[in-house]
Amino acid sequence: MLKLQLFSGAAAALLVSACASSSVPAPHPLDVSVAEPVFLIDTYDGDFVDIQQMTTPGGVSVWLVTEPSIPIVSVQMAWRAGTTSDPAGLEGLSNAVTYNMNEGAGDLDSLAFQTAMEDLNMSFGCSNSAEWTSCSATMLAENAAPSMEVVASAFTAPRFDQGPFDRFVREQEVALKTRETSAGYLAWRAQSQALYPDHPFAREVTAESLAALTPDLARQHQRTLMTKDRLLVTAVGDITPEALAPLIDAAVAALPETSDLSPVTPITLPAVAAADPVVVSLPQPQSLVRFLGPGLGRDNADYFPAYVLNYTFGGGGFESRLMKTLRVEKGLTYGVSSSIDPNPAFLVWSGGGQTKNESAGEFVAGIRAEMQKFIEGGVTEAELADAKAYLIGSYPLGFDSNSKIAGNIMSVRQDELGVDYFDRRNALIEAVTLEDVNRVAAEYLAPERFSFFLVGEPEGLSAE
Amino acid sequence: MKSMFIAAGLMAFAALGASAEAAPEGNPPTSFTLDNGMQVVVVPDHRAPVVTHMVWYKVGAVDEAPGKSGIAHLFEHVMFKETKNIGPEEFTSIVQRSGGQLNAFTSWDYTAYYERVHKDQLGKMMGLEAERMVNLTINDDPKGPFISERDVVKEERRQRIENNPNALLQEQALSALWKGHPYEITVIGKMEEVGALTPEDGLAFYQEYYSPENAILVVAGDVTEDEVRTLAQEHYGPIAPTGVAHGARKWEPVSPIAETQLITHADPKVRQPVWSRYYLGTSLSRNYDEALALDVGLEVLGGGMTSRLYQSLVEQQKLAINIGTYAFTTLHDEGPAVIYGTPVDGTTLEELEAAVMAEVNAIMDSGFTEEEVRRARNKLAASAIYEKDSQASMANQYGAAMVLGFELDAIAAYPDKVREVTVEEALAAVRAVFAADKNYIVTHLLPAEGDL
Repeated sequence: MLKLQLFSGAAAALLVSACASSSVPAPHPLDVSVAEPVFLIDTYDGDFVDIQQMTTPGGVSVWLVTEPSIPIVSVQMAWRAGTTSDPAGLEGLSNAVTYNMNEGAGDLDSLAFQTAMEDLNMSFGCSNSAEWTSCSATMLAENAAPSMEVVASAFTAPRFDQGPFDRFVREQEVALKTRETSAGYLAWRAQSQALYPDHPFAREVTAESLAALTPDLARQHQRTLMTKDRLLVTAVGDITPEALAPLIDAAVAALPETSDLSPVTPITLPAVAAADPVVVSLPQPQSLVRFLGPGLGRDNADYFPAYVLNYTFGGGGFESRLMKTLRVEKGLTYGVSSSIDPNPAFLVWSGGGQTKNESAGEFVAGIRAEMQKFIEGGVTEAELADAKAYLIGSYPLGFDSNSKIAGNIMSVRQDELGVDYFDRRNALIEAVTLEDVNRVAAEYLAPERFSFFLVGEPEGLSAE
Repeated sequence: MKSMFIAAGLMAFAALGASAEAAPEGNPPTSFTLDNGMQVVVVPDHRAPVVTHMVWYKVGAVDEAPGKSGIAHLFEHVMFKETKNIGPEEFTSIVQRSGGQLNAFTSWDYTAYYERVHKDQLGKMMGLEAERMVNLTINDDPKGPFISERDVVKEERRQRIENNPNALLQEQALSALWKGHPYEITVIGKMEEVGALTPEDGLAFYQEYYSPENAILVVAGDVTEDEVRTLAQEHYGPIAPTGVAHGARKWEPVSPIAETQLITHADPKVRQPVWSRYYLGTSLSRNYDEALALDVGLEVLGGGMTSRLYQSLVEQQKLAINIGTYAFTTLHDEGPAVIYGTPVDGTTLEELEAAVMAEVNAIMDSGFTEEEVRRARNKLAASAIYEKDSQASMANQYGAAMVLGFELDAIAAYPDKVREVTVEEALAAVRAVFAADKNYIVTHLLPAEGDL
């Protein structure tokens, strides 16, 4: 399954400089007389995808899936550092960094930078989550070299001009106002304040923190977020490792080696939640209902039983018990679902849906009743077989486009699952037994473990 | 909510515009017709052992009878319920046990159903769709599934439209724009009319429109034309055409907007006002060249950060938080061409409107540059290459175009046709749509007084 290929660094560099735009910097001085092997490619031939792992001459670890049938290339970069890295009082700073990464670099101001991307028919942009900062570039294969040159300029000489920075602040000011009537946001805030008010995951951008941000602070923070030691790179498309490596090296050459950031302390949810649902008033015809309780991580032996169980509970679309009861039988909702999140810092089992205000009490009681049925009766053999059949049988559907493959291989890297994960995963699901599932159901789906949050004008709620 | 909810989609408009670039050598899409009149399109893509199987019916909200708004969409839900040979709620179970994903969606012009599966399951999916094309059971029990599904659709309407002040206002604006045309009916239907639909309505609708000669089969993915032909003849071939499907649909040219009007919607959930102007645009079906030119012209005018309106109103004058333009050119009949914007604090909607229209008029007077039109054309043409990455969106684009009567070669020619749009044509299309003597609908989305 594993193939090793050696490439001469000099030959690889020559190959690229022959087809790249002349202004792409060569990765290092060339000496064609010394055919020194400088990078090694491990090709993993999987059942779903073939992944070429390499460390570039510049020292960047890259996973590449070469797919020549469509003339496009996408490159994703992710750094383990997100909005929780914002210094106290400067909430929004990481967002300011990512917003401004495609707003001008080097000699190009914002308009010139955007125009350059349009001229190349490419896109490049960055974003944050709580724990990650990500940048993504998509380009036509024929324009890969000049497109990556644009990306390189953004990392090497980002401008953080006052104009786009002020536009970022104006947009954020509007976002501060509009979030106050967003049901999803209000549910999230109620959850944060009730369950982990002092944790970094509960921090929010405020008018004060926004007012304190400056282009200089963003410029400095970019070099905290985007360092070589935190960087993961994946790429998918019509490009070879030898062609890609020097483009990646040139793109990230100017990033600092390292920066100091502390990891986030994990959140531990209470084993028994408050009995009364938390209600946030919002004038609209429906109530949004969200529930969450303690979950479990990938290092837990019960993770796959829980994952399979969740399909039957609320993860399987129409095939879930929540949908069969609350939508199909009772007509109470357009959709209700659940999921498990194995983020080690915040292990949760959560879900929700929406129903007219008049039926909110019936809806919440219905969700709790479905949980209770799992505790009392467990899952049937037929349900377990159906869940496995879907989860295993549908797995290839996640590999039928370059963009899905790019997302999948990046998440395997972020979660440190190993290059062979895609090929191991179905066996892990197949091995789940009814006994495992029912033991996990009895422990994790106990209704008293779940906190409920409602946004709207719900009626008929009572303490359970 | 994730997109997992099945039988639930309501696709406002498909991206016909961004259709296929010339396909890879040796694998061009092909089409043929079964003896019973069912058209078949095959879009090969051999990257993964996966196929997208879609059945498109030539029926949508445009075909609904007066007072029966929402029946095309409600019927889409009912199609998942029960057939002669498949028990209640079993359809989805069979697909998911086969490792498949499925959904459906309804528009003004069409209704479509799809399954995405491993290629080994393609024949089984055809068997399921063929079964429900002819053997659907509609229960007339007042407590039966038709009634409970009506309640689900009412929740869907609350979730998609009534929870969202912006969606409520857009629904009113579109109804005003299409006054007197069948599109005036909102696709999801009016709450009271949906609530009054009966199983008899559903059965009549099924018998009139669900028939092989009124359907198009699209299969994209790891298959050849021969494989699809063999399976399609086996599963769909034996179905006799009913002969009652309408040859002529209720499509008609949309009349010009009779008078300019302001529609205001105030809601306590609104925290930032929004302004829009809806003009009557055109469509690729009604006027292909003008619709292409309008797409290019709107890209230059308000298609992103580099557009004229964004640079003027957001970057230079700093009167707007955002501004943009769009048009529904992929409906059969003429749809809206829209300019919208959100003012910065301290600027009223009237002030924003005056500044935007002054800029629009100045641009229409002074014209576009060759350079910016070239970029807009390339952007639209390149999007066709990026779209090829998704097997499902390729299937969507071919289905949405063929259901409106476009042929394969016309779809494949789209990027070339876009690249042929001239500066004069792009400008002329924009001038025609936003001409000073045209009526339009203005919308104001406003905060309401009072506490939350």
